[in-house]
Amino acid sequence: MWVAELRAILRGAAGSFLFGIPLLYTVEVWSIGSSTNPLRLLLVQAVTFFVVLLLTQIEGFRRSLSIEPLETVLESIEALGIGIICAAIALLLLRRITLETPLSEALGKLIFEGVPFSLGVTLARSTLERRRSDQRRTLSTDSALTVNLRKTMKNSIGSALGNTLIDIDATLIGAIVIAFSIAPTEEIAIIAAGMPPWWLLLVMSASLTISYIIVFASGFTDRTERTQRGLLLSPITETLLAYIVVLAASTLMLVFFQQLTGNDPWQEWLGDAIVLGLPASVGGAAGRILA
Amino acid sequence: MAEVDATKIETSTGEVLTEGVPAVEASGARSLAEWLTLAISSLVLLLIVFLVLYDWQLGKNLPPAFQVEVSETSRLTADRYYVPFTLKNTGGRIARTVQVTAELTLPDGSDETGEQQFDFLSGNEQKQGGFVFDHDPQTGELVVRVASFGLP
Repeated sequence: MWVAELRAILRGAAGSFLFGIPLLYTVEVWSIGSSTNPLRLLLVQAVTFFVVLLLTQIEGFRRSLSIEPLETVLESIEALGIGIICAAIALLLLRRITLETPLSEALGKLIFEGVPFSLGVTLARSTLERRRSDQRRTLSTDSALTVNLRKTMKNSIGSALGNTLIDIDATLIGAIVIAFSIAPTEEIAIIAAGMPPWWLLLVMSASLTISYIIVFASGFTDRTERTQRGLLLSPITETLLAYIVVLAASTLMLVFFQQLTGNDPWQEWLGDAIVLGLPASVGGAAGRILA
Repeated sequence: MAEVDATKIETSTGEVLTEGVPAVEASGARSLAEWLTLAISSLVLLLIVFLVLYDWQLGKNLPPAFQVEVSETSRLTADRYYVPFTLKNTGGRIARTVQVTAELTLPDGSDETGEQQFDFLSGNEQKQGGFVFDHDPQTGELVVRVASFGLP
């Protein structure tokens, strides 16, 4: 009972981060939140509740298929709660809310960022639940690579290697889908500049934890099936390797958009790559469970 | 209605059986764990609403007001004098584009000026900055003040 509920909550949190992170890296949302008066904030919260309530009738982070009218209200309250807690964690992590932030500003940011995070909780299953394998696209004509892959897949080590490559590929695709639209923006530099160096370690551990939760702890995929395939038998190893892939992808995206050049000090390279690595690893994790 | 639901459950469990993940968790009465989630979520929401209302009452109609504190000691680096200052909005409402100006009048009659703009300053928020002068601020008369601000 407790495990099932924890899984449901983590599922909601996973969807919340996937959906909310693009708006988290938007300077305008912070300033809109900071400058909104309290009555309007309550109105925003009420509208969010209404939208979540509508969505909960057809979607939700729990796996029940039929739902009582009263239950939709209760589940909507839970979705808002999970969304707001996730938004708070994210805002604290990126230092958009610190101990010095005045109450009104913190509340404004929290409520406005809470909107996409709460919607994400409700949409968790529809965005992250794995599609049936027969709906997946495959190459109609076998290229030399896939033929070779299939040949090598006949023995188990080859198959493990093939599956690992597929996982890395999926991580890359997911990371690019989420982080490509964030990489050229100035938010990366603003956030990275606002962090003391040791804070980057927190961002790294959060990226790893969230990626682990999405892939292994939220029950979107079957763990026994995952441990059987793949060279990366241990979930920790897989999470670490995926994070390294994600960091490399983030750095390349930043270089692609000339956000990082040879003139920048190495500290900036490091900070920017780690800050962009957070959305990229959320995307990468989503990519791996959907692949 | 019940019939439609039943077929839904069947197809989705059938679908998931091949992948080994149960698609439907036990429905029906809420478990203790689910009630706990609800309780914590409701608490979080109530706390947010309470804080918004509290903040509203607190800073209801206080217009922005500013207080600038200039540090007594300036730092000398590479022949330049750095004077840090702290700007605080002592009012309740938020101010935008707050402009802080500094004017240093030297004994020989010449002066140096500087200005700094802050995009956002909420009620009770405090921000820091600095002015840079070529001459020692201790030898002249330094005036730092807020020159203008905008309302959102």
